[in-house]
Amino acid sequence: MNSTIELLAPRYDIAWYPWAVQYFFMIALSYATLWLAAPALVLGKKAWLPTARLALLACVTTTLVAPVALLADLHQPLRFWHFYAYATESSWMSIGSLILPLYVVSVLALTWLAWRPALHDNREASGISGFVARRLAFGTSATPRALVVLVGLVALLLSSGIMLYTGAELAIVKARPLWHTMWLPPMLVATGFIAAAGLLLVLNRVSGVRKHATNMQMLKVLLAACAIAGLMALTWLLDGINANIGSVTAALESVRHSPSWRDTALWGLISGVLLLAVVLWMLTRRGEQQRSLLCWAWLVGLFAIHMGWMFRWVVLMDVQTVARHSAGFHHYGIPAGSAGLLGIIGTFGLWLAAVLVIELFIPWRHATQGGHAPANPVTDSDHAAVKGAAHHG
Amino acid sequence: MDPIRRSLLGQLARLSAGAALVPLASVAQAGINQQPLRREGDPTKRYGMLIDLRRCIGCQACTVSCHIENDAPLGKFRTTVAQYEVEHQESGELATFMLPRLCNHCENPPCVPVCPVEATYQQRDGIVVVDSDRCVGCAYCVNACPYDARFINDKTQTADKCTFCAHRLEAGLLPACVESCVGGARIIGDMRNSESQISRMIADYRDELMVLQPEKNTAPQVFYLGMDERFITRPNAEPVTLEVLDPHGQEMGYEFHH
Repeated sequence: MNSTIELLAPRYDIAWYPWAVQYFFMIALSYATLWLAAPALVLGKKAWLPTARLALLACVTTTLVAPVALLADLHQPLRFWHFYAYATESSWMSIGSLILPLYVVSVLALTWLAWRPALHDNREASGISGFVARRLAFGTSATPRALVVLVGLVALLLSSGIMLYTGAELAIVKARPLWHTMWLPPMLVATGFIAAAGLLLVLNRVSGVRKHATNMQMLKVLLAACAIAGLMALTWLLDGINANIGSVTAALESVRHSPSWRDTALWGLISGVLLLAVVLWMLTRRGEQQRSLLCWAWLVGLFAIHMGWMFRWVVLMDVQTVARHSAGFHHYGIPAGSAGLLGIIGTFGLWLAAVLVIELFIPWRHATQGGHAPANPVTDSDHAAVKGAAHHG
Repeated sequence: MDPIRRSLLGQLARLSAGAALVPLASVAQAGINQQPLRREGDPTKRYGMLIDLRRCIGCQACTVSCHIENDAPLGKFRTTVAQYEVEHQESGELATFMLPRLCNHCENPPCVPVCPVEATYQQRDGIVVVDSDRCVGCAYCVNACPYDARFINDKTQTADKCTFCAHRLEAGLLPACVESCVGGARIIGDMRNSESQISRMIADYRDELMVLQPEKNTAPQVFYLGMDERFITRPNAEPVTLEVLDPHGQEMGYEFHH
């Protein structure tokens, strides 16, 4: 056996920037929150309506911001029209570029339908919000429930296309053994649901909606998503221990040779187990104890969001630092500029701006499953809830 | 990597180098992640390269001449020679191993089908090129190449790679790296022409030739003679030091900033 030192090799830069993480994160929040809005909007479950309102807000905002991050990851963003001028059947990315705009339109249409009765009811409001309502309501007719269901189904179908293409786009890359596994696409979906449920827990708190039912529903979604993600990770690992599977071998080699990969693996494991345990604990409490515990559900939500984001960071950024035909790992430090830190913060800032604009001018809290506007949309209990947001409780 | 797997891969490298030499049919299949149709280029030719490592002295003349010929940005390379110091653990004897690297112009190039706008394509003579006017700079191909052969050119903001100096071949010249190789280690030619030097050498050394990462089924068309099978996949080595820090933590060496 010989020992070898690499004397000379170029530094290979990463090819996809943190914009890619932001896109994968935002679009995952988008499709997962759409599915969380579906029980109320598509299946007509009344108990899920408050959750659907939050989910729809999250869905439409992330759907609008995600393509911006995607565009920013192109080195030639103004050539985006080439995707449509030279569509390529062999490329998952090209297929995605066709699905994405259809998906965005379907989400916008669904949101508009769900918000329309409330917009209609808001026509008499003063200032910009009344102006927006008059412009966007498009008449005073009732919104057919069947149309909400139909557009909802189309959006769900297209969102499945997004799940499929974002996963497949990575999983087919043989050059990166850590991506080249069929377990990656479902894992992206599962961690997407973890982050989405977390986001709704946070929104439920900071928006002042503060519905107990929403907290319970999201904790259950978290439990299911965590359990599924855990099972998939375990299956992948056991699969790789029993047979020679490239992605597992590459993962074990990375963990063996790199302290930072060791830390990452440990962090992921501890976070996953911790999240699962806390959610389980919250769900199994009863009565008053559970109610007081659920006041802190938004913290669990923040932790879940962190998991969804970190998973994408590790998969997209850290994997690119594993050398392919040279030794060791490439160094990657997040630059401060728009290709790095500024891009990450900017994407979240844009998302926040989108949420605030909607909060200011659109009565999203009164989204319905179709039909006419509620007689008196701003109820006393809503007022109380909004006021309650200022206090901690 | 354990020695048994290494040696299996070595066998595989030889076998697939052989398989890749079977008269090459450019059969394109339809479907996602399948090779799109080849276009342009002379269909009567199939260019390939043979690198005789016994003749490589690691002088980097190829690296420099390629850089000048193709105007690559500083710090990015269409071709370069990786160098390794190998120490025999029993005798302590030192040897240097040179690994010239460039685009393999694979028979099944994984970088081509992923391109969302068909900006990168394979010519009918086997050369894989990029249309920098069409490229959107998504860098998908950069990630899809197992050989680090592609990069984003900072000047053009599009994907860039070795083209076997197609513009020179067209004019009847040799690629810059071949032209400048001191030891004559790089041999390029038309593998469909049985009289070409590369065809004759492939016939002579068929059993000794190896390709990089044969297990990826990319069927590389750059063949290495005098190759050590421990280097056909990611080498198990102490990585290169790119930053040399002084006692104050400041960088002493240099690297390209861009």
